[in-house]
Amino acid sequence: MNLVFSLAAAVLFGAGAYLLLKRDLVRVVVGASLISQSAILTLLASALTRGRAPIHPLPDAPVSDPVVQSLALTALVIGLAVTALLLVVVDRVSHAYHTITQDDVAASEAAREEALERVGADAEALTE
Amino acid sequence: MTIAVRAIARLLLGPSVVVAVAIMVKGYSDVGDGFSAGVIVALAVSLQYVAYGPRRAEAELPLLRLAPFVAVAGLLLALAVGFFPLVSGKPIFTHWPAPGVHPTRIGTLEMLTAVVFDIGVFLLVVGVLVVLVHQLADDSSPTP
Amino acid sequence: MTALALALVVPWAAGAVLVALDGRGRIVCWLCVGTLATEIGALVALAVQVLPGRAVHSVTGGWPADVGIVLRADSLGVAFALVSAVMLLAAVVQSIVEGVQERTFPGLVVLLATGLNGLFLTGDMFNFYVFFEIAMTAAYVLTTYGGGRRELGAALVFAAVNLLGSSVFLLAIAGVYRVTATLAMETIALRMADVEPNAAILIAVGFFIAFGVKLGLFPFHFWLPTVYTGARPAVAAILSGALANIGAYGLIRFGAGLLPNELALGATALILIGCASIVYGGVLAVSRRDPAETLAYSAIGQVGYVLVALGVGGPVGLAAAVLYALVNSLNKTMLFLAVGVRGPLISAVFALGALSVAGMPPAVGFLGKLALVHTGIVAGSPALVALLVAGSALSFVYMFQMYQREFWRTPPADHPSRWPLQLLPAMLAVLVLAAGLWPEPLLALSRDAAALLSRGGR
Repeated sequence: MNLVFSLAAAVLFGAGAYLLLKRDLVRVVVGASLISQSAILTLLASALTRGRAPIHPLPDAPVSDPVVQSLALTALVIGLAVTALLLVVVDRVSHAYHTITQDDVAASEAAREEALERVGADAEALTE
Repeated sequence: MTIAVRAIARLLLGPSVVVAVAIMVKGYSDVGDGFSAGVIVALAVSLQYVAYGPRRAEAELPLLRLAPFVAVAGLLLALAVGFFPLVSGKPIFTHWPAPGVHPTRIGTLEMLTAVVFDIGVFLLVVGVLVVLVHQLADDSSPTP
Repeated sequence: MTALALALVVPWAAGAVLVALDGRGRIVCWLCVGTLATEIGALVALAVQVLPGRAVHSVTGGWPADVGIVLRADSLGVAFALVSAVMLLAAVVQSIVEGVQERTFPGLVVLLATGLNGLFLTGDMFNFYVFFEIAMTAAYVLTTYGGGRRELGAALVFAAVNLLGSSVFLLAIAGVYRVTATLAMETIALRMADVEPNAAILIAVGFFIAFGVKLGLFPFHFWLPTVYTGARPAVAAILSGALANIGAYGLIRFGAGLLPNELALGATALILIGCASIVYGGVLAVSRRDPAETLAYSAIGQVGYVLVALGVGGPVGLAAAVLYALVNSLNKTMLFLAVGVRGPLISAVFALGALSVAGMPPAVGFLGKLALVHTGIVAGSPALVALLVAGSALSFVYMFQMYQREFWRTPPADHPSRWPLQLLPAMLAVLVLAAGLWPEPLLALSRDAAALLSRGGR
């Protein structure tokens, strides 16, 4: 059982990491979300027990550990909030830079850096 | 959107609220909590957005305009339920009735502060998700 | 217990209300300041209760410690919480004086304060994660303050990188729960001693990566310059002065508190990484032209010192780590808030900041450097002491280079900013000077925190 969970978490992490290195920003967000899902799956795998659900009145059979499920639920909610935030930021970036691929965003940043360097060098030449 | 999607979107709104309330009310002793209830209602509302488009959906459901305040009210309700026991000197998040004590009932509905907390979480989740859907659906976002 | 709960609920409820109101109006801004001031009051009351080596415990719902969520205020947590809250207040007041541009700014800062308070004052590992995420989400949104292209790019990088760090943190929590079957930090500390060493080392590496990404330590520093230069200076002050404290606190609490054996095992590696951070940050800061960029690389260098102190360990090393983290937070906030402001008061602030970062008396940075050199001597390594002194020399070089570029070479046509803008950094500079001349409270807090950790977190 542990092996299945570990493999699944590893596959999710690998897929997420692959997507993180893509050019399209939406794929980067999906990749980050997949990595957080892999962490949540590992969280569930950390307390695998066979048993009945611990809902009152408690059964005589062994009871499974509910703490991990509440941890996973909390982590899912947090993942939802952060993914939603990332998507809105990507939406705003697409409006601001008129592009959604990383290379073009980086290129416009590099152009701005160059302009700053030129202005800085001019200012220094003036005050020398 | 086709007529079938629109009809279903309109029809699903009421039952989703009923299912959400059912999930919340039995959540303290069976499967269910405020978060899943909130997501169900938010999904039904998002279906309105998808089926009718943002402008018409917001025109037909004027309550959606209040979504941020609903979220804040939900958070304040949850915090109030959690931190109120401080007034009587008990640790925070002490629910009434205490474990082992029989709760008062109205019919089959049991009155517990945990359910009020879940209602607060429900309102918060519905408010936040409706604001999110509104934000993503808005075509005329400002360009900096 | 009341002060503890008040320190949590006041900013939480106020933040919820303030986010819904329009933050550009004066009333909302002053409500925000009032909330932060109340929270600082509650934290001071808590500090008075916990300072002589005690701790305030409270478990939610009155359940036993392993069932309910443990809230614990001790000198380590309260010290960090107090310094972070004061830094947040300073950044907010400076933003209000400049003019708040976005509706949700005050509410978000108050929610950030909630998250920070919660994670410094909790004794439950998963509760730490929840408040950590509350603080980080508020910080992600704050980074977009200003709404310009650079701010949005910075926010995207910040959010994506820290989401990764949080996922690694969650993996480490899963590991801890697997081997100790509990979430309360004190019980974890007890049970960790019996855990198989391989698992414990993996968990320790996981926590180190998560907090290293948060702090901007050398191998995980690549996001820091982009974010600190892209965001507005007030937001950069918040990020470096309040948020970076999470990383330092996490390393100290989870490293020295929960996993002391693994910390001792990895001491050499930690010291090496810390030294690499110091050298990398210092050398690159010398070559930068923009003050915000210099300060960003300086931040990378300064957190290396905290890691070196933590690596050396022992009561001296831990006290030095706590002290240096707090001092660094104060320095960085003061310097970032002074970026972009001009005037005679500000040049004095910058000069004092330069002295503080370089570690010269009478600024409070001298105390931090002194504690670090003491740690190096206790570790018995002349190479370490030489490196610390070399790092201080590098700091001196880039700080005065920045001072020279900003205030000596600027043409006289550059008029000074209006005096309210200069006032707040000046007040922070007075605080730096006062703490440098009267260091007893800071020293007492850091020694108390170190003694607490050495005693085993009791």
